[in-house]
Amino acid sequence: MYPFSFTKAANTREALNAGRSGGRYIAGGTTLVDLMRETVERPETLVDISDLPLREVSVTERGGLRVGALVSMADAAAHPKVRALYPVISQALELSASAQLRNMATIGGNIMQRTRCTYFRDVSADCNKREPGSGCAALKGFNRTHAILGSSDDCVATHPSDAAVAFAALEASVHLLGPDGERSVTFADLLLKPGDTPNREHALRQGELITAVEIPSLPRPLKSGYLKVRDRQSYEFALTSAAVALHVRGGVIREAKVAAGGVGTVPWKLSAVEQALTGERPSDHLWAEAARHAADGARPLQHNRFKVELLTRTVERQLRTVGGTK
Amino acid sequence: MSPQPQAAVGAPLSRVDGPLKVTGKALYAAEFDVDGAVHAVIVDASIGRGRITSINTRDAERHPGVLRVISHRNAPKLPYRDNSGSNNPPGRRLRVFQDDRVLFHGQPVAVVVATTLEAAQHGASLVEVGYDAEQPSTDLHKGKPGKPTTYARGDADAGLSDADVRLDLTYQLARNHHNPMEPHATIARWDGNKVTVWDKTQWVVGTHDEIAAVFDLPADGVRVINPFVGGGFGSGLRCWPHTIVAAMAARETKRPVKLVLSRRQMYFGTGFRPSYEYRLRLGSDRRGRLSAAVHDIDAETSSYETFTEGVMVPGQMLYSMPHVSQAYRQVPLDVNSPIWMRGPGFASASFVIESAMDELAHKIGIDPIELRRRNEPSEDEGKNLPFSTRRLRECYTVGAREFGWNRRNPRPRSKRDGNWLVGMGMAAGVYDPGRFPAEARARLDADGTAVVESATSDMGPGTYTSQTQVAADALGLTMRTVTFRLGDSLYPQTGPHGGSATMASVGTAVVDACNQVRKQAIKLAVEDRESPLYGADAGDVVVRGGRLHVQGTPSRGETYRSLLARHNRSHLEARGSYTGPPTPERESYAAYNATFAEVAVDATLGLVRVRRMLGVYDAGRIISPKLADSQAIGGIVGGIGTALLEHTVTDHRDGRIVNANLADYLVPVNADVPQVRAIYLDGEDNSGNALGVKGLGEVVQVGVAAAIGNAVFNATGRRVRELPITAEALL
Repeated sequence: MYPFSFTKAANTREALNAGRSGGRYIAGGTTLVDLMRETVERPETLVDISDLPLREVSVTERGGLRVGALVSMADAAAHPKVRALYPVISQALELSASAQLRNMATIGGNIMQRTRCTYFRDVSADCNKREPGSGCAALKGFNRTHAILGSSDDCVATHPSDAAVAFAALEASVHLLGPDGERSVTFADLLLKPGDTPNREHALRQGELITAVEIPSLPRPLKSGYLKVRDRQSYEFALTSAAVALHVRGGVIREAKVAAGGVGTVPWKLSAVEQALTGERPSDHLWAEAARHAADGARPLQHNRFKVELLTRTVERQLRTVGGTK
Repeated sequence: MSPQPQAAVGAPLSRVDGPLKVTGKALYAAEFDVDGAVHAVIVDASIGRGRITSINTRDAERHPGVLRVISHRNAPKLPYRDNSGSNNPPGRRLRVFQDDRVLFHGQPVAVVVATTLEAAQHGASLVEVGYDAEQPSTDLHKGKPGKPTTYARGDADAGLSDADVRLDLTYQLARNHHNPMEPHATIARWDGNKVTVWDKTQWVVGTHDEIAAVFDLPADGVRVINPFVGGGFGSGLRCWPHTIVAAMAARETKRPVKLVLSRRQMYFGTGFRPSYEYRLRLGSDRRGRLSAAVHDIDAETSSYETFTEGVMVPGQMLYSMPHVSQAYRQVPLDVNSPIWMRGPGFASASFVIESAMDELAHKIGIDPIELRRRNEPSEDEGKNLPFSTRRLRECYTVGAREFGWNRRNPRPRSKRDGNWLVGMGMAAGVYDPGRFPAEARARLDADGTAVVESATSDMGPGTYTSQTQVAADALGLTMRTVTFRLGDSLYPQTGPHGGSATMASVGTAVVDACNQVRKQAIKLAVEDRESPLYGADAGDVVVRGGRLHVQGTPSRGETYRSLLARHNRSHLEARGSYTGPPTPERESYAAYNATFAEVAVDATLGLVRVRRMLGVYDAGRIISPKLADSQAIGGIVGGIGTALLEHTVTDHRDGRIVNANLADYLVPVNADVPQVRAIYLDGEDNSGNALGVKGLGEVVQVGVAAAIGNAVFNATGRRVRELPITAEALL
């Protein structure tokens, strides 16, 4: 671990000032401290933001839900509003990490967590994300857990978060507060595909702070759920996952929100699957037909070819689980 | 057995050291508070093979708190006396910082010593090492095998070509790492020319001998202490390079040095269960009577040592057949040396043999248990010796009944539960336990309490508890009045704590020592006119609860305390020993099991979930039933790991282990462990030890992976001949 200084921000302004001069924000620290120990992360200054007033979950005027950035994963998952309105978020959170980590880690940090690519986490390996221009050891290395979607020749690392997959499916946006004031960006614009700059992972500006995640109001009734496929039954990142939310009225799917995890360099919105579902009547045939589009554009690697088929089956299973029939 | 009543042995007691462990008072190697200790962190090679061309230590040495950076450039030349003991495999053991060669990725190339752990860690990251890298060879399938170890009886090739039914199957077994909870750690302190080492080890004696050999010290120049081990599974069976690094660093800095391996360093700083490619050809008649087997076994070893394990034994003695040939070849690779891991060799061989037996049963259409019964040998055909005890048939009978084997449909894919395909499988297991010379010392004090000491270890099976049970009964004392001590090289010597050998070996020595002490006391009493026992036949006197009395006449007797007080004796003491099994062996002595598994496989997603497991064990006498259950559950959990999750992955481009952490190297978590049950056949095996035991800790993992794999076949109709069995094989 490289030496660093540590300050605790008493209020938002203090945090922003520290952030503007290069301080790195830390809340639960469940990823950052690990990476500092491995010397992957070498921040000079850490700014502890855990005292900031960002721990509220509230229903927005338009009927959506706003989850403060410092709400712990455990609290967000257990919140009655989250459970009632968006089971897919609760489930994604509860299938993440371990109970201990969920108690520490925050919603803002969960979105910002860095990839589990083992070459990224091993400072003696080549990694364009960690050291631009050094190469991607995973591309031709052991890449069973790596991305099949959104990857480039420079980076094939997955985004590890489950909750972010649910947020992406629901087209959530992220509220930011920076030196230049407030703004919000959609999930689609927040996390960046690697392209030839895999070191650039998100659209946050220097010193910007995530204050909340807002899930938009969606037509009711909305059925939703999250399926996580992994080798062991707990405490592991996804091989594949699917977040599905469906609004069915009059026997017809009016809205479909679907995203996949464990397969993309960012949480992967499955627009083609959504389109195939919208306006159709639920049926086993429809689930299979729609899921066929899940891996559109996949670029499998030597050890993760199976993810193409597994993703398709994961999405189909979860469409049936949420949408019924059979 | 002694005439003594057995009160403690066989009772389901909790661990005597349990309160110490749960209150944090049990001190593990890194936890000893050694005055003035400083910290050492190893710098690992970041190439898989080659030479070190430069080492820049300037920044590290300038970092506040850093005391010294040691590498081959400035390390003292160490004698490295030959030591064929200490579980060192044949070869030339890795010599730390003695030259510029890099033999494997992660090899120690320098060590940074600092006043704080943080300074040492950061200092280590500041050391810049330049290399002349060569292409390492780490792929078992591409390496050049060494000379095979062979075995043959009959004419296996002819037997195979004459067979009505033939199978030719090749299995791939992944490398597994032990991953004990406690990392390997050493504290070394020199006092003049003598060194004291607190070291995580399963064998203080072996570590003592290795340190003495490396530094060329007399036997009394080294003391190794390790009262508690936070799991081992075999990883502590030899003295690893970091222990030498710590001792060297302590001598160079003239300070006590503490060195704890990181979890990542555990993957190349200690050993592992080697990966295998195992081709098995089987021949039988149409009724399943085996005639021939040809075993071609390739296993990884390091370039500098030739590691072997008992992988050939099951193929020689598990089933009866006239023709067997085996070739076991070590493939030297640019990796660190393997070491035995729970059920060593036997667990690997049993996955192959027991999977193949299941295939044969399916092919000829008979029940897998019936196939095994038809091939049950009447003697050990490998050793040409009678079995001391072998009760596999009973294991099958009890297991089938208790598991509900009759509910298994032999037709694969015939049972469904929602998305899940459900199947059952079973396998036989065998383990040939070690037995080695051992010594113990027992001392009965005037206050009626006793202390028993032996330089053995307790990596988790409960040696403290079970040896206390054995000692308490032999002395006629209660559990609470006996203290068993272990983990100090000054105590009477034993072999390694591994190979299921401890109870048979150390336990026999403990019984011997305690019997002698008890007999000394009885002799004092029966020859003492003032004793109520005066004149009694010594053979008729027993001791219970610290009181000697004539068997059948409890009123005629006295306590140890009154006896010793009257004789003005502060204590009675004796040294006991076990000399090992008779040589040459007269009987084949092994522990057996039948293991049953029920699994569910997601029909579309390919996920395997174990639902139920049962092990039925022919392990001789069970000294401590509660601890035995812990062993059985632990072995089955380990087997689930091997079957479905555990796989150390090497990047063959540079020899790097890519999943050297517990997030990427998967071991079972609670959610993966189903209902597990263990049954022990009642009985004992008195062929080689005073206690009638056969050892349990290893056999419990043997056969587990095969039982699970066979259940996966029964569930899905898919044979997966590669471990671990993961979703991609079942999609």
